[in-house]
Amino acid sequence: MICDDDPGILEVLEMILEIEGYTVYTESNSTNLIKEISQTLPDLLLMDLWMPVLSGDQLLRTIRGTKELEHLPVIILSASVDGNEIASNAGADGFIAKPFDMDEVSMKIQNVLSDIRQVN
Amino acid sequence: METYIDSDAINDNLNNNIYLQALNSARSGIIITDNRQPDNPIIYCNKSFENMTGYSHNEVIGHNCRFLQAQDRSQPERQKIKDAIQNGTECKVEIRNYKKNGNLFWNELIISPVLDHNGNITHFIGVQNDITERKKYETELREEKASVDRKIKERTKELHDNEAFLSSIIQTVRESLLVLDAEYKVLSANTHFLNSFKVTSEDTIGKVLFELGNHQWDIDRLKDLLTKILPTNNPVIDFEVEHDFPYIGKKIMLVNAYRVEFEGQYKDRILIAIEDITDKKEIDRRKDDFLSIASHELKTPLTTIKGFVQLLERMIPENSSEKFVTTLGKVSVYVDRLNNLISELLDTSKIQSGNIEIHKEPFDIDKLIKDTVENLALATPEYKINIISNTKADILGDELQISQVINNLVSNAIKYSPGKDKIDVYCNRVGNFVKVSVKDYGMGISQQDQAKIFDRFFRARDIQKKFPGMGIGLYICHEIIAKHNGTLWVESEIGSGSTFNFTLPIMKR
Repeated sequence: MICDDDPGILEVLEMILEIEGYTVYTESNSTNLIKEISQTLPDLLLMDLWMPVLSGDQLLRTIRGTKELEHLPVIILSASVDGNEIASNAGADGFIAKPFDMDEVSMKIQNVLSDIRQVN
Repeated sequence: METYIDSDAINDNLNNNIYLQALNSARSGIIITDNRQPDNPIIYCNKSFENMTGYSHNEVIGHNCRFLQAQDRSQPERQKIKDAIQNGTECKVEIRNYKKNGNLFWNELIISPVLDHNGNITHFIGVQNDITERKKYETELREEKASVDRKIKERTKELHDNEAFLSSIIQTVRESLLVLDAEYKVLSANTHFLNSFKVTSEDTIGKVLFELGNHQWDIDRLKDLLTKILPTNNPVIDFEVEHDFPYIGKKIMLVNAYRVEFEGQYKDRILIAIEDITDKKEIDRRKDDFLSIASHELKTPLTTIKGFVQLLERMIPENSSEKFVTTLGKVSVYVDRLNNLISELLDTSKIQSGNIEIHKEPFDIDKLIKDTVENLALATPEYKINIISNTKADILGDELQISQVINNLVSNAIKYSPGKDKIDVYCNRVGNFVKVSVKDYGMGISQQDQAKIFDRFFRARDIQKKFPGMGIGLYICHEIIAKHNGTLWVESEIGSGSTFNFTLPIMKR
């Protein structure tokens, strides 16, 4: 699942990840996110920080506080320089700075997913 | 003093030797006149008189003393003498007299009448002293005094002028100024203070600072400043104080305080200058916010562009021309360049507010240098960038930021050596550090500018026209290296080129 208020980002990431073989869901409205991920139960969430109404770190805290979702792997994508710190404080599993490199994105996703598998 | 001597005795004794001797040994000139004869002639004069006036005894006998006045007959003292003689009273005058040779001398003349047993004035005794010297000194003294008085007047006027001038300066200055005495009572407050803090002179002067207007100045930090720091003779400059004032709201102020140490009427007085920087800080904050938001917003579509360009690069059709491929590659390079520029803008504001975050992870410095430089080399094939880096050292730091530094230094090296064709990048171990050097053979940097190039918005003067830019790069690099506990510096000579060096601590295994 990718959540970002910018449709351009959603589109390009969707293309990149589908080439990699992932099934991609997108959500541009941060207020709908919790509902969507509860329904689709994705393996991983890629989420922006700066979004209107509900920000990425707010959502992340909610996710970590929700029983069914607390173990959902989340990677934060952000253009903010201190995004990294905010992300790890809120409980993210990874951070990618915007603008990102395609390979970097796919590698980070692989790492996070394989870590989960190892743990399991 | 009135002298009433028996006149008969005088006649009897005039020829008496011992009295004569006494008269002749007197320093004062003494004459005796006979009042019973017409025009009061001199009947005796002593030796001193002769010496004093230059006239001999025989020359003066029978004359009235007025001859001593020569042509100088209009002195007011004459009337005094006349009156005294008329009334038979004693008098003392200072009169101008003239010696036989015509020289002026000042004569202190004391005239005493001599009475007979019937009370008639028979003789007058005149005692004379040459007070010319004294008169001279008196005149000189008077002139001296007049001169001094004049000088005092001038100095006093100067002082008044200075005071008035100082006062005008203090009232015109666009900063609040206070003068306190040793007990923190306000001695004076300038117009700016009264206007800024909306208080009147009456409410302020004479009151202890901390008790002014509802204790609005009862600020802990300020109190500490004045009572603890100031007495220790430490200078107090740019002391920041933030306070929520009752009528004017929240203000941030910079305070300079000075305690007068020199002796004199101003000793122990405290001078306080207050600058209101509330607006300045607000502007800075807004500027930082703006930069933050702007660069964040710019990065969003840039991210999308970069993503699509990378996808295109993966989707290159088999039969596309070489040109197609390289052109696409170039788009990628310039997208990255745009990103760097935006990052510089964003990072500036973060550094300024002390927020630059380093995410530390171990990385291979040789590899980082190689990757970063190769990336740049793609866009500048006309330069040969030599790399000598075999330290095999791992650095614990923010790889992205160090890459940014290397990028910045190498780009500068290229930019400021137009027409040259090589850049050298070295990396060596030095003790527990690695030292990275970027050397160009270009225009070099003047001594003067070398000191300033790491300042936030500095650009060497002549550079600005040829290479427009914001001049943020080196400032950020400096901050980044500093946060990594290294140092960044330059060695340069005009015309020969520059070498920028930085050190980073090697990670301990």
